[in-house]
Parts: sequence; C-alpha cells; structure tokens
Amino acid sequence: MSDFSEELVRSKTEDEQEESCMFSGTGMSFPWLQKHIETVATGGKKEKDFAQTTSACLSFIQEALLKHQWQQAAEYMHSYFQILEDSDSYKRQAAPEISLQHALYLLHHGMFEDANRNLSHAETWRYGEKSASQEVLINLIQAYKGLLQYYTWSKNKMELSRLDKEDYAYNTAFQNMLNHSGKMSVNLCTLIQTPGVWDPFVKSYVEMLEFYGDRDEAREVLTNYAYDEKFPSNPNAHIYLYNFLKREKAPREKLISVLKILYQIVPSHKLMLEFHRLLRKSDKEDHRKLALEVLFGVLDFAGCTKNITAWKYLAKYLRQTLMENHLAWVQEEWNSRKNWWPGFHFSFFWAKTNWKEDKALACEKALVAGILLGKGCRYFRYISKQDDQVIKKKIKRIKKSVKKYSIANPGL
Amino acid sequence: MDFPSSLHPTLFMTGPLGLSNVPDMSFMCSWRDALTLPENSQNGVPRLATGLLWEPETPGPLPLLPPGPDPWDPGVTAQDLLFRGGFSFRRKPQAVLDVTEQLSRFLWDHGDIAFAPLGKLMLENFKLEGAGSRSKKKTVVSVKRLLQDLGGHQPWGCPWAFLSFRQRRFSILGGPVLGKSVASLLGELLHEELAMRWEQLLLDDAFTGGALAWVPGKTPQVGQLVYPAGGALDKLYFQEVNLTPDGDPQALGDPGHIQLRGPVRQVVTCTVQGESLLAVRSDYHCALWKVSKQGHPAPLQVLQVGKGATGISLSPHLPGELAVCSRSGAVCLWTPQDGLQQVYKDPETLVFWDPSPWRWADFTAHPRVLTVGDRTGVKMIDTKGPPGCGLLLFRGGAEASCQKGERVLLTQYLGKCGPEPLLPTVHLICTQFSLYLVDERLPLVPMLKWDHGLPSAPLWAQLQPPPRPGHPQPLLLGGQGGHLQLLHLAGEGASVPRLAGPPQSLPSSSDSLSAFPLLEPRSQWRLQERLKAPTIGLAATIPSSASEPVLSLFQLSAAGDVFYQRLRLQAEPRHHSRAPTASWTPQATACCSRWLKTLLEVPPTPPVWAAPTFSNRCLLTQVEPSKVEQKVPEGLRAAMAEGRLLQQRDLGSLPSAEPPPAPEPGPENELSARLEAAWEGQVAAWWEKQQGRSSGPRKPPKRHKRRTQLSNTFSSLSGRLDLSDATSPPHSPDRTSSEARPQPLVTPPSQELTQELWAQGVPSERQQTLRDYMAKLPVQGDAPGEVSSSLSQTATPSWQQTLQGGATQLPPRRNPPRGAALPSSQTSSFQATPSRQQTPVLSGSQRHRKKPRMGF
Repeated sequence: MSDFSEELVRSKTEDEQEESCMFSGTGMSFPWLQKHIETVATGGKKEKDFAQTTSACLSFIQEALLKHQWQQAAEYMHSYFQILEDSDSYKRQAAPEISLQHALYLLHHGMFEDANRNLSHAETWRYGEKSASQEVLINLIQAYKGLLQYYTWSKNKMELSRLDKEDYAYNTAFQNMLNHSGKMSVNLCTLIQTPGVWDPFVKSYVEMLEFYGDRDEAREVLTNYAYDEKFPSNPNAHIYLYNFLKREKAPREKLISVLKILYQIVPSHKLMLEFHRLLRKSDKEDHRKLALEVLFGVLDFAGCTKNITAWKYLAKYLRQTLMENHLAWVQEEWNSRKNWWPGFHFSFFWAKTNWKEDKALACEKALVAGILLGKGCRYFRYISKQDDQVIKKKIKRIKKSVKKYSIANPGL
Repeated sequence: MDFPSSLHPTLFMTGPLGLSNVPDMSFMCSWRDALTLPENSQNGVPRLATGLLWEPETPGPLPLLPPGPDPWDPGVTAQDLLFRGGFSFRRKPQAVLDVTEQLSRFLWDHGDIAFAPLGKLMLENFKLEGAGSRSKKKTVVSVKRLLQDLGGHQPWGCPWAFLSFRQRRFSILGGPVLGKSVASLLGELLHEELAMRWEQLLLDDAFTGGALAWVPGKTPQVGQLVYPAGGALDKLYFQEVNLTPDGDPQALGDPGHIQLRGPVRQVVTCTVQGESLLAVRSDYHCALWKVSKQGHPAPLQVLQVGKGATGISLSPHLPGELAVCSRSGAVCLWTPQDGLQQVYKDPETLVFWDPSPWRWADFTAHPRVLTVGDRTGVKMIDTKGPPGCGLLLFRGGAEASCQKGERVLLTQYLGKCGPEPLLPTVHLICTQFSLYLVDERLPLVPMLKWDHGLPSAPLWAQLQPPPRPGHPQPLLLGGQGGHLQLLHLAGEGASVPRLAGPPQSLPSSSDSLSAFPLLEPRSQWRLQERLKAPTIGLAATIPSSASEPVLSLFQLSAAGDVFYQRLRLQAEPRHHSRAPTASWTPQATACCSRWLKTLLEVPPTPPVWAAPTFSNRCLLTQVEPSKVEQKVPEGLRAAMAEGRLLQQRDLGSLPSAEPPPAPEPGPENELSARLEAAWEGQVAAWWEKQQGRSSGPRKPPKRHKRRTQLSNTFSSLSGRLDLSDATSPPHSPDRTSSEARPQPLVTPPSQELTQELWAQGVPSERQQTLRDYMAKLPVQGDAPGEVSSSLSQTATPSWQQTLQGGATQLPPRRNPPRGAALPSSQTSSFQATPSRQQTPVLSGSQRHRKKPRMGF
C-alpha cells in the first residue's frame, strides 16, 4: 500500500519537475522566466503555496551560503527539511549520489574509514528498480571503494619495503596485500571499461598489476584506456602508456608511435621535447623532419615562449638541418609562421624584455631570429648590438652562424 | 607546458542535452573534489582555504560619477507584453503575449497609420470635399457627412459613441474589408515585433562581454574607465580614475568623450607587449584605438559589419589583432595592417539547430587557433588549416551533463589575464545554469562545473591576477540584473583548476537603496528604478602596490551610471558563523545624497505614449462648431498633451454631462452570496430572503435590481466561458459589472432624434403595429433593433422571464450585456449609447482600457 502511494507521489513530482522548466519558443530555457510570469499572472501578489515556499526557502539558503552567513544558512536549512516531507521519494532515489558526495568529501579530508563505510552504505542502496544510471553510479561507488583499498594496499607496500624478506611479518603483510588487491581489481575493473576519465583508478590499478608482474594485463588496460574511441581524448592516457612502455624499455619505434598521438592532441606538452630527442636520434628521414616540426609546434604556444630548452633545441637543430641541406624542411615550417612569429616572438619589445630578464634565452632566440629572418631583423640587431663582456664570445658565434645559415634572402 | 598528472574522475557520455537516464555527476568536478593519490600526497592535499573572503567595504555599490543629463526610461517590462488574465486554472503559468491588447492600443494611438493607407487605397470611393451629390456613382461615400456624424470624436471601441445610419452602413459594408486587412497585416507585424521584444526582455545579448573597460595607466593606482553614456549610449567616455589605497576611487577631472554613430555594445581592452589597445563594438561597426602611455586614444581603424557584429575580442598574443563575429555566422581575424581575413563561416549552429544568430570568438593559447562559439557549443578552429575544420571544445550535450534548454551565453579565454597567465589553456563557458572551465587540451570534458544559480543572464566575467603570489585568482561573474558572484580559482601548472573556497555573492546596486534618504513615493520609485537598471558592463582591478589587496569593482548600468565597490581580502581565516556586515559611512551617504540631488534635477522622461493627433478637423472648415463643443476637445487635447488626468474644469461648463459612473461591487457580491448559498444547498432560503427583502413598498427599485442581477449572472457566466480561450482577453468580472451597471433613465436626445427619423413617413395609425412587430425581433438586428430598445420600455413585458430571454430581449440601453463579448454583439453594445456628451470624458480617462474590437 505504502509503495503504491509513494509511486503516485513520485510520478507527480517528476511531472512537476519537468514542467517547472520554462522554455521560450526557441527551445532555450530561462531560469528567470518564472519570475516574470508570476508578476504578471498574479498581478504582483505572491501566492503562498507549498512549492513556492520551498523554492523561496531554497533560494534563501543559497543566498546565505553565498554571502558566507553560515549560521543563517543552517537555520534556513533546518526549516527546509521541515518543509520537505519525508515521503518525497524522488529525492530519496538520489540517495546514492548524496552518499557518494559525502564519501568524496571524507576521502579528501583523509577520513578513509568513514568514507569506506559510507561507500558500502551507498553500494547496497536500492530504491525501486535498478536503472542504467544507477548501475553506473554503483560502479563508480565500487571504484571508489577500490581506490580506498588501494590506499591500504599501498600503505602495506611501503611497510613491506621496510621489512626483511625472511621475516615472518613479511609473509603476513604480503598476504594482506594480496587480499586487498583481489578486491581492488574486481572493484576497479568494471568502471575503467566505461567511457570516462578515470586517471586515479587506472593509475592505481596499473601500479598494482605491475607490482604483481602482470605486465600484459597492465599494457592492455593502458592501451584500451588510450585508444578506445568511446573514451574522450585524454592526454594522460597516452602519457601513462608512454611512461609504462618506457619503464618496460620498449623499442624507440614504439615510443615514437605513442608520442606521435600525444603530439597531435597536445603539441605543447613538455614530453614533446623528449619526443624531439627521440626523433632527432632516429635514422628515418621523416622522423628527423618531424623533429623540426615538433619544436616549431611547441614554440607556437603562448605558454612556451620562454622555454629556454625549446629555443636551445631549435637553434641547434636548425643549424643541423641546414647543415644537412634540408632547407625545404625549414622553409615549409617557416612559411606558415613567417607572418606572425616576428610579431609574436621577435618584436623589439621582446628583445628588450628577454635581454633584461634572461640573457641566455635572448641569445638563443637571437640566433633563431637571425637564421629565419636574416641579420636585419630587429630582435637580432638589438641583441647583437648589446655590449656585454660575459657573452661577447657567444654573440660573436651567433653572428657567424647567422651569416652562414640564414635562410632569409638578403636581397629582399 | 605541464598537463595535470591526474584528472578528476568523470563519466563520459555522448548524446543530446537533458538526458534523464544519466546520473548527474557534475558534482565530481566541483570544488569539493581535489583527489590525490598517496604517491604524491606528501606534497599535501591542496588545502581548501575556508576563510577565503573578499569583504565588501560598504553594504552596496556607490555611484562614482554624477548622473548624466539625459533622462532614462526603463523600457518595456514583462507586464507590458504579457497577457494579464488569471491563469488560475493552469497548474503552471505560461507566457502568453498579449497581441490583442497591443493591437487595440496601436489602433487607438496610431489610427492614422493603421487606417490611412487603406483610405488611400479606397480614395476613389470617397468624396472628400464639395457639397451636393453630383457624382453619379453609387459607390462613392461622402466623407464630409461621415465626419459630421462623428462630430470630431473618435468612436473606436467606445461604447458611448454615437453612430448614425450612415456610419453604421459604412461600418457594416466596409467592416469585413477594412477590419480583416488591417487586423491581419498589423497583427502579424505586431506579433513579430512583440515576440522579438519578448525575446529581448528574456535575454538581451547585445551587451555580451560588457561595455565597460579599465585601461591601466602609468601607475597602478591611476587608470581610465572607458564606457558609453548618453541617452543612446553613443558617446564613448574616457574617465581618469585615481584609486587611493585607503579611500574611495576619485574621478580626476571631466571625462573626455568621442561621439560615435551607433550605440556602444562592447568595450574591450588588452595590453600586449606594452601596447594598450581598445576595441569597441557597436551594432554595425567595430573600431580600434591605441591608448598612449599618457592615456590619449588614437584611432587606428573602423570596420563596418553589414549583418551586425555580435562579438569582438582582442588578441592577447599579437598587438592589434582582433577577432570579429558577425550575425551571418562569419568570424574574421582583423589587423589594422593586413585588414580582414575570414577564418570561419557557417550560418548553422555547431551542435544542434538553434535560431539565435549570436556568435562569439576568442583566442586560445595558440595565436593562430580561435574559439568560435554559438548557443549550442564552442569549437576551436585553426586559421592556418582548411576552412571549416576544427575540434569541438564544448558541446551542449551529455558530455558536460547539460540540462534541457541549456544554452551557451558567454565564452571567454582565461589566458588573457596578465602577461604570464596562470591558466594559459583554460576557457570559461557560461550558460544560464552553470559555469564550466574547459581545458583546450582535453576538449568536451569540463575540468570544473559549478551551478552559479544567478537569477539573470551571466554575460560578464573578469579573471583577475592573484592578489598575492600563490593565492587563488578572483573570478568575477556578473549577471544582467546586476547580480555579482566572486569565485576563487586555483590550480596552475600541473594541478587541475578548481574552486578554492566557497563562492561569494556580492552586493548589487539595488542593495544601495538604504544609503539614500527617504523620498516621496514618486521620486523613490524613480530612484529604485534607476538602481535596478540592468547592468551592461563590468570592470575590476587590483592595484598591486597596496599592502593589503583591495579589489575595485566598477559596474555600468543601462542608465549610464557607473557604480563602484571596494572589496578587501580577509587576511586571517575567520571562524565567525556570520560574515561581518558592512555599514554605510557618512561619506557614503553624503555621496549618495549628492548623486540623488543631481538625478532628481533631471526632468523625468516624457511618457512613451503620445497623444493621438486627429486630422479630420481640417476637413471640416465649413462646419461651425458650437462653443461648448469647441471647449471640450481643446481641454481634452491640452490634458492629453500634458499627459495628465482630464478634470471637470478642463471641460468648462458642462453641468449637464453625466460623470462616468463609478464601479460598484454590489451586484457582484449578491451573485457570490447566491452561489455560496447554492453550494450549501440553501438557495431556496436565499431566494425567499431576497424576495422578502424586496417585497416592500418600493416596487420599482426591486424590478430594477433584479434586472441588473440577471444581466450580471449572464455576463459573468459568459465571461467564464471566454476564459477558456487563451488568446483572446476575457473580461474581468469587475469591469463587466462596472460597465453593465444600470444607466440613468434619461432618454438621450440623439435617440429621440433617431426615433423621429424612423417614424418619418409612417402613418401614425400604423406605428403601433410596427412597434409590436419590432419588439419581436432579436436585438442583434441593426437599425430597427435600436428603435425597439427605446420603445421596449413600455412594450416588451416578457424579457424578465428566463435567462435566455434576457440574452435576446434585454433592453440593451439599460443593461448592455457587452461584457459578455459575444462575437456578434458589436451592434448591441453600440445601442447602449446614452449621451454623446459623455464621450470625451471617457475617451480621455479610459483610453488604455482593453477594447475587444477595433473600431467602426
């Protein structure tokens, strides 16, 4: 009987939820439309019905919270709960989400025990029929439980590293760890196959697999996480895979192929310099060409303009490329940049600022500017005119290189 | 650049927005979440600064500059546009545009526009001048006679207007043609206009991005506020402001201004490589200025946007480079040296179909990659690559757990803040519900989602540099209604952007009302309206040299007022449960009083409605109006021109004219009493009581009363029936009662005249027969019905038998059931015209009434 009545109540509240959104003719909804209509429909008078009381109370709570009036917010909250009847089962269905939110809070405040209890509570929560959305939620809850088990496991691992292998306690601790890891893999496995961003879960799961030597499984998890098309293109997935392969001492070819994809997603990533080094050492010509492209790509980004390593690599590699008579490679890269790099990197403003802030950076940039734009460019001229005893030699070397390698047509 | 080594766990779902079978996991990327794994937990969990608070110095913002000389009018409100019927039977009220009301008003106020073109079309069928009927055509109507009958009054919709046969004939014959074409043509146009106004009222996106900018000066304390003012917002002002560390900001000298040719919608400023640039967007123009170190603007270039510009952004990477968006769906890169370069064009929206032509563009961490946004999503496009290709950065859909009806209102690149931004790859996206932070290296998956809950459209955002090294950055979010929120953004380098500390809501200009002295209601209302004026711009700055960080916040209102408030960063984490409430200082109240004085000196705006001008007078030169008649329209005209109430003295000596009877609620109450009695099953008792009361010696009044009551029963019944039709305005019962109240039993001279006219040529012995015959005719007939009404006082005894009888045979002169608004009852209402002298009084005082028909 009670179930039946609750069902009725629920269907009604759901209905109302849908109706309370206001849409205009364009399909856009306006949270503030309701207010407009109310002033017109009721002639400015406020009807004191239940829904309005609750919504008014809720907005008071929100306002008090935003004004950091905690005491007041708590008082409103108290009355809000009084207003809301217990029979509001629509809200009750959201209980796992609330539990999960609470658990996350506890987790982030280091209260692992409480968090675990909370998660177990949420996991066993059932209300009505289990829907698809609830299933995902339960998976997530289980994954968080797995994460908690990982915390315990990793604590055990640390203890283990301090113990002697011959010790009796070692075996117990090892057994303990194995125990946790079993549960953990069960808990984590399902979730990380659902499309999403699961960085902490994948990381801890792979660490555990690696510890027990299950490299194939670890590789499969990471490969799936990086290459499954249903997943968002998460740079971390490729970074994890690359780091794993590096630990595994995978062949250079393999590493390059992983980083190539990362290069397409995040050409500004700091691993790109490592990628450049790998490519530079490669025997293949197209890899060496890519090495130049990667450097230019990194320096395109506003956040990388002061990366001295990148500038150093570029100065060195430009010289090397031109020495190897690959002028076309440089020109290809330069053509798409020649109308904005001068203003972006090699302006008079930057020459002054770079020289004031970082002389080494200014020198590297001056060399690149000289090669790409010729010795007439403002950046090169400003730096080369500086009379600094310490790096006098360096500037002289730069001048020489520019004279030798500059791709700019002096006639123009 | 570093990428966060571990992102928040997030479910990734594809699909349209408003999916209901997906758990809302947006809480997972809110401020509560800063998950760290044990391996790097040694670095310490990023501590949530609980005491993080920017404390306002005053309870509300204060005016910075005296109000401008131009009066300001708030424009249309929801009350003006929406249908004002009681929708009590609906569970949820709905927005219904009141086209009927607006059309009726239009016909009243601009009858010349509404009807003159038709008149011109039918010119050959009207004879405008000359006497005598020399024209042989039967289809020619003499306007002179018509106007003579009108007597200079406009009878449109006025039940007291007198109608002659000629007019009636004209009305009946011409009605279908005139009425239909005017109504359908005008109705369509009006509906279109109303819908547009309504959309604008719900969301006015013209000012997206904000029309107020802070241009830093030589020292951190001095800068310039650049904003539009003047009635049309077409003057761009440059006001130098000194931010003293301890006192209020001071305006230095009078502002300089530049007169532009259109209203300013957006003002953006950016300092790139030491060069301060200022870009301005108007409706169809964009302009770029360079601001010298001394603060003088030098114009660089002006651009015309044929289809209308919707957004403009200055590049934070290359000096003088801009992105301009047009309503046509095109996005152009614009540099004064190289001119325009179209980088994107698509009239369609990105993710799903949406009618809004609003487009937005901004820059990204890569100087050659732009973001292009519309209401449905945001895309990153590479200007070097082939046109049209790009990657969606944000999708209005399940990926970001968007709600049904959610739309993008603002996108902003957050890497613009300062020369070394802390979040060089993060973009802010605001919808009417939430705020999203998206990293361009991980498209589609928001790094942070937070429901801002602002009660108006968030169209402005300002990210400020951290007040102290290592502190979170304040992010200001402003709504159109003046609502302000401050969020603390943390997370740089290898950590995920997150909200450090709970967000704050800041006082808005309507909170400042308490600083002003109490005024008489009219002025108080004006002040309130002024303070409630929508915000159209937001600017903020934190002068870095101050020992204690102070955030100066400026807000520009649609009335052209600049308000400011200062916020101090709380040094120590507090543990008070209640935030300290600031109070007004004497200086603040003095400042407000001064401002108010200047405001009240500005004369209020003249009412939007202007007195209609009737031009038929000039055609009636031969007609010599009587003295009284001349005085009445003069008085009426004078009163209308001044927009005041028409008073008795304006009409001169008109003691004979009946004043318009005041509404009396009497009969209404009787009806409800009767219904109440019926509900309780005691209607018989009530009836007896009623009869007992009226069975006294006063017989005639009793008859009178019952008649009234009957007609009321009838009209309120049909009024109810009318309610079911949402598009036509039902008549509220109170009006029905006031209009259906008994008329004084005076036979107006006009009707006597009509009777005589009718009686002309009928032998006196046959008149009685004819009278009896006429009495049987239904009221809806035309001319004879009118006559019967004046005769029926003596001749029809059967009208009070049944309700139905009342409907057909009520003497309409006394109890016009016009409140019932039967579609065909037009004529019957016109019969209820007691005296033509009343007309001016009514048309003067009731012109805004809802009239269900539109003339003739």
